[in-house]
Amino acid sequence: MMTVLRQVLQTFEQASAPLSLAQMARDLQVEPAILDDMIAYWVRKGKLREVTEAGCDSCGLKGDCCSPIVKLPRRYELAADDAPGKPPCCCG
Amino acid sequence: MTLTICLAGNPNAGKSTIFNALTGARQHVGNWPGKTVEKKEGRLSLSGHEVIIVDLPGTYSLSAFSAEEIITRDFILDAQPDAVVAVVDAANLERNLYLVLQLLEMHVPLVLALNMSDVAESRAIRIDRQTLSERLGGVPVIPMVGSRAIGLDALKAAMMRAATDHAAIPPLCLDLGAPVEQEIAGLLPLIEREATPYPPRWLAIKLLEADEDLLSKVPPALAQAAQQAADRISEETGEDADTLIADARYSCIGELVRGAVSRAAANPITVSDKLDRVLAHRVWGVVIFLALMWVVFQFTANVSAPLLDWIDGLFSGPVTRWTVAILGAFGLNGTWFESLLVDGVIGGVGGVLVFVPVLFALYFAIAVLEDSGYMARAAFVMDRFMQKLGLHGKSFLPMLVGFGCTVPGIYATRTLENPDDRKITGFLTTFMSCGARLPVYVVFGSAFFGAASGNLVFALYAIGIGVAVLTSLLLTRLVFKGKPAAPFVMELPPYRVPNPRTVALYIWGHTAEFLRRAGTVILAASVVIWLLLAIPVNGGQFARVNAGDSLFGAISRVIAPVFAPAGFGQWEAASSLMAGFVSKETIVSAMSQIYTNASDDLPAPQPLTDDARDIAVGLGEALVLTGQEIVNIVPRTVNVIPGMHMPEANLLNQPPDTGGDTALETALRAAFTPLTALAFNVFVLLYVPCLAAVAAMRQEFGTRWMGLQMAYTLVVAWLGAIVVYQAGLFLGIG
Repeated sequence: MMTVLRQVLQTFEQASAPLSLAQMARDLQVEPAILDDMIAYWVRKGKLREVTEAGCDSCGLKGDCCSPIVKLPRRYELAADDAPGKPPCCCG
Repeated sequence: MTLTICLAGNPNAGKSTIFNALTGARQHVGNWPGKTVEKKEGRLSLSGHEVIIVDLPGTYSLSAFSAEEIITRDFILDAQPDAVVAVVDAANLERNLYLVLQLLEMHVPLVLALNMSDVAESRAIRIDRQTLSERLGGVPVIPMVGSRAIGLDALKAAMMRAATDHAAIPPLCLDLGAPVEQEIAGLLPLIEREATPYPPRWLAIKLLEADEDLLSKVPPALAQAAQQAADRISEETGEDADTLIADARYSCIGELVRGAVSRAAANPITVSDKLDRVLAHRVWGVVIFLALMWVVFQFTANVSAPLLDWIDGLFSGPVTRWTVAILGAFGLNGTWFESLLVDGVIGGVGGVLVFVPVLFALYFAIAVLEDSGYMARAAFVMDRFMQKLGLHGKSFLPMLVGFGCTVPGIYATRTLENPDDRKITGFLTTFMSCGARLPVYVVFGSAFFGAASGNLVFALYAIGIGVAVLTSLLLTRLVFKGKPAAPFVMELPPYRVPNPRTVALYIWGHTAEFLRRAGTVILAASVVIWLLLAIPVNGGQFARVNAGDSLFGAISRVIAPVFAPAGFGQWEAASSLMAGFVSKETIVSAMSQIYTNASDDLPAPQPLTDDARDIAVGLGEALVLTGQEIVNIVPRTVNVIPGMHMPEANLLNQPPDTGGDTALETALRAAFTPLTALAFNVFVLLYVPCLAAVAAMRQEFGTRWMGLQMAYTLVVAWLGAIVVYQAGLFLGIG
């Protein structure tokens, strides 16, 4: 029988369009907070990656050089085998 | 006798509140040895015992992924406290139970403090603590509201019982499934033989989970045996042992809460969910996004117009007048220095600064949409739309960033994993109209389309998205034929009323950036343009030459014929576009200098008091008209619907379209037709964004790709302008 954790990963693999975390929690019938934990588990395992912005927060200029017009929402995607590490600072 | 009791729990479960309530002022705060994690200890006297309370770091589990997890785990294993109080958030019980299960696996005397019970109750979450306690093997479950000390006495009594009567709580034996249980059974004799200080079953589980911290602490033979056992589980089940174990814990949580916790509804449908059924709908979501953008650009172009005219009057009137008067006092009237200040600095930089109200209005509208939570939906809806078109998904998010400025839009492509996705998205981002192009659209919109200038701005943004989509189709069909990337799973934050402070900070941040650019890049570019316009090529005096006979005019004449098929083959238009390579605002700065020569038409002198009166009256009128334009957004939106006519407010009884024309608008009307103005703006929209964007492209994608991208944007811009102009002529619009 497929584990719930595996179902979470499978949802990512089979998605053909962007999904919201809330919708995914409803589809899998798990609490959103538990889904967060399950996604965090797969992120730790290297199967998923959290998409973070181009490192502005960690940059000494604190984003002064970029100031993107919209703050992009937290999102996850399947991690490729050649996944890069943390994106470098946007200031180059 | 001194007892040690520790508090463990998830972050934000209210552990520190309960710690403070238990210990009062008798606290000691320091750091855990060798770590920067805060260690808090406190003391109290209970039933004749001195009790040391240790507040452990907040953690979601007891793996070894963070310093907090290792500190918590090591403290429980090494210090062997007399009892552990698991502080859980009653409103978020399921998530908190993951840690509780791990504590029970360690066989520690446990008390469950069901904190924030009032919050759970307000959300109609009912917890049958008797059933929960039985399912947890008799662990006392104490409902609490730590912030009001409710349940504190019951907690003290329960933790003293647990600390002094260890036999009361049996170990929790989670059924991990036959393959895992079989390997645990095989490992237990080895663990018992090695006499490790850890609970044997707990250690076996941790070793199967490949816990690196513990694998390094146990004898190599045991570590190797555990590794082999984990491999066998993997081979047999097709899953990693740690996945099976984690899944068993999640299943156990499901069993624990079934019947013990009831909610008004599981994952109830919230107001945000209901709104998302429309706003994030696969069809209506796109329509609503486009409609909202239309309203945003109506708002941006029309609401800002009165203040724009007022600031323009300020620069062309009093500021110029005062500058000339001050220069006159030093005997500098009629010199090249006066021309530099009046034409170059005031005409160039001032010509751009008049657009501050435009950008202010745009940033206000976007800040409201952003802080309300809508922009996340826009990204979600458009990303799905692009995916449906067969385009590389995940591109719209960086492209959306490009609406503000192309440079961070290009850098935002770093969030994409695949190098091909990055290149495609970088390519598309340049077509998303950045804020710097807005002044160009607005000046042409005001000159040729009056109150309907918002339509021009909207049309140009839409053309930008359309060209980006076509380019994406072209690239994915011809250049990058790989499998489309799997889509995102995205958090959609709940909708909320925008916070005025957040909106104000957002507007200030972006407007300040514009002002900073005006004082640096645009000022420098304006001076260079002035210099090029001041150097004569066919004789004449420096700074006293007609623009057409200047060096800039001569250079521009060479390339101007290229634009003839697009209807704007004059050298003035060509030179403005050349200036736009530096930054798009510089186009307006250049046009201000080329089309209007302020020093040739200086304002008549008048007393300072008259200037002050004119400024105050002008500002008052501009503010009234701004209010009127805000009100008129409603009728203008309603009047788009065929058959609808809603009258617009006209507070100052002005005839339609008689807003004060700036000198530049008047000059542009003499040089362009509405059709050539549209073609010119399409070129501005589509060609190379600016030098900073080119540098970003080179840094991100290399010189070759940057060159290709520049060439592509120039060709697309040129063809786009020609198509617009020739189609207009064909349709008889010109």
